[in-house]
Amino acid sequence: MKKFLSIAAVATVLLTSCSSDDDNEKNNINTPSTYSFLRNGESTVNFGGQTTRIAMATELVSALSVNTNTKASLQAMFNHAEGDQDFTHADLNASNKNVRSKVAASNDFFATNTTLSNTIKQDFDGWITDQADNVFPSWNVTASAGVAGNLQQLGSTTVRYFNAKGLELNQAVAKGLIGGLMADQMLNNYLSIGVLDAGSNVQNNDNDVVEEGKTYTTMEHKWDEAYGYLYGAEENPESPVLDADRFLNTYLRQVNDDDDFSGIADEVYEALKLGRAAIVAKNYKVRDAQVAVIRENISKVIAVRAVHYLQGAKSDLEATTIDYAHAFHELSEGFGFLYSLQFTRKPGTGMPYINNAQVNSYINTLLAGNGFWDVSVETLDTISAEIATAFGFTVEQAAN
Amino acid sequence: MIKKVVSVIVLALVIAACSSSDGGGSKPTDNFDRQTMLLNWADNIIIPVFQDLNAELSALVEAKNTFVTTANQTNLEALRSAWLNAYKVWQYAEMFNIGKAEAIYFSAYMNIYPASVTEIESNIANGSYDLNQSNNQDATGFPALDYLLYGVANDEATILDIYTTNTNAESYKTYLSDVVDHMKSLNESVLNDWTSSYRDIFVNSTGNTVTSATNKIVNDFIYYFEKGLRANKVGIPSGVFSSGVLYPEKVEGYHNQEISKELALAALKASQDFFNGKHYNGSTSDNSLSSYLDYLKTITGSEDLSALINSQMNAARTQLNTLDNNFANQINADNTKMTMTYDELQKVVVLLKLDMVQAMNISVDYVDADGD
Repeated sequence: MKKFLSIAAVATVLLTSCSSDDDNEKNNINTPSTYSFLRNGESTVNFGGQTTRIAMATELVSALSVNTNTKASLQAMFNHAEGDQDFTHADLNASNKNVRSKVAASNDFFATNTTLSNTIKQDFDGWITDQADNVFPSWNVTASAGVAGNLQQLGSTTVRYFNAKGLELNQAVAKGLIGGLMADQMLNNYLSIGVLDAGSNVQNNDNDVVEEGKTYTTMEHKWDEAYGYLYGAEENPESPVLDADRFLNTYLRQVNDDDDFSGIADEVYEALKLGRAAIVAKNYKVRDAQVAVIRENISKVIAVRAVHYLQGAKSDLEATTIDYAHAFHELSEGFGFLYSLQFTRKPGTGMPYINNAQVNSYINTLLAGNGFWDVSVETLDTISAEIATAFGFTVEQAAN
Repeated sequence: MIKKVVSVIVLALVIAACSSSDGGGSKPTDNFDRQTMLLNWADNIIIPVFQDLNAELSALVEAKNTFVTTANQTNLEALRSAWLNAYKVWQYAEMFNIGKAEAIYFSAYMNIYPASVTEIESNIANGSYDLNQSNNQDATGFPALDYLLYGVANDEATILDIYTTNTNAESYKTYLSDVVDHMKSLNESVLNDWTSSYRDIFVNSTGNTVTSATNKIVNDFIYYFEKGLRANKVGIPSGVFSSGVLYPEKVEGYHNQEISKELALAALKASQDFFNGKHYNGSTSDNSLSSYLDYLKTITGSEDLSALINSQMNAARTQLNTLDNNFANQINADNTKMTMTYDELQKVVVLLKLDMVQAMNISVDYVDADGD
């Protein structure tokens, strides 16, 4: 009798500890101070493909401002083929990766939507083409409504180049890639449960079965690839300092610098670290909770910057003497972030905060008629307010 | 001592209970009668398909013999129509890549397209070739005949000339004859294997391991739907796998110019009929994947997957029906309709490859390369 009691007691204690709460589950996770993970003394972190694509996107965006480039050379940088001499860096030329194939290409949003994926890729093709065909030949023309050309910012030596609708196309491409490449791949592909848990990934991760010839499990690697789209250009990606590229990484820093959103950068970094540690600890519940944190915050970065630039343009347009170069520059950045909203991801759903149809309606409004030359501050306020509401912040918080 | 052992056992049990609870609760036992499903597949679908293909290939051989003896327009038309009849039945057979078919790479010799015109012409010019050699996979089968019957010259009169007045006419006829006979002989070996011995092995392989009949056929079925139908017929020509670069010349039946839609519709019907366990050329249905899913639904209370899959297959058919009879024309005129069809087919793939196999606890034995 005594024996049974003691067994029962032991079992009860164990069962109680078994139905652990979140804290207990976190306790078995060893979260390192930096994004460093080892197996048998060797690093298991690898995201070379992401670093490569960020570097390719960087060269492409720079090349869009050099009017001696040709349409073919720009398109080749966007849709690079292995071995072609498209970039200044030999490593990029030798790479079998390219930017275009990963635009609007996430598992969750586009695996069954090739048609939309193609349309989005063609939007980027169109901006690149417009730059080469219409803006480069008008490099020395003064821009006006319906006329592509340049405008100098007031009190500044900065000259900016716009298409016939006042859109700075390198901004459309650069800021569009923040959503279309980086956020989409990160939030909707590599942090997708469908990708993390694909095939035998869970079983292999549970049993520490690593990829052939590698130090990491497939699930670990997928997570690292998500990390790479944010921090892949960092000098020391293990301890990111931000401002390492002109894409998501930099804009996370900028939003973090706004007092209304301070701490967001740390939150993202910690969630990426904890989620990765949770994979090592085979704790998928904690992993998935981090996915939600990352999706919410990275999405917010895009939304805050969209509103920020639309509001920046608004104040330019309301000035006594309008600095069109500056206003249209802000509008162009805002346009790119606006475009990127369709790649955000609302946690707990399979949807973006603002979908493709809504984004297209915003863009069509902004580009109607002579485009930015015709845009009203009311339009900018309406769009700003709708975005802010969808994401749960205020226009004022984003504007400053 | 005993007490210690007992408590260790209790401890082990509790720990085991703990770790398994992470997996999300225990599943009810799957007692579905796989054998009735295997019997339905073998006796009412697979063997009848290979028998019908055999009959159509016999008719093709006959039509070919008539044409080789008397090469005229009438006999050419008859040969073409025999080819098309057999090609449509082939759409039902391609998915059963198991047993002898798998061992001899049957489908690779029957339907890799586009056929290589260079290899076919070089075989004809040399006169020496082994159609069982793997290099000749794209110089044999239905796609090779597509070329020989429709693409070997630019217009009808000149096509007939190739087999009559051309200096190499005899070589062309010999090659045509060899390709047809080769197809017939390959199918005979697959059919004979089923009827002589493989049928019994198949219907008694009732387990749930990677090599069990159900698991293999489910994988074959999904693979066919994903690669044979979705990718080969629609995705590859419409640029889905080539960064948008279009390949209208890669459609099935390219030289014929009017059957790529008909063949794709046949493939979709074959897939859906197999999924629903519909007897080949019959109207009754018996156990198959849809009834298996229905059974699993009753024991787990999960969603109605078989209805979802059927309705998504119907959506894919609706989209397919909007396309030009010749996919090459469709690609050149408005490729968006092609990719929309691809997307509807891909939605079926997701349901089959993720939801269905998960419900059946079957693992997918092939993976796609991911890029990075």
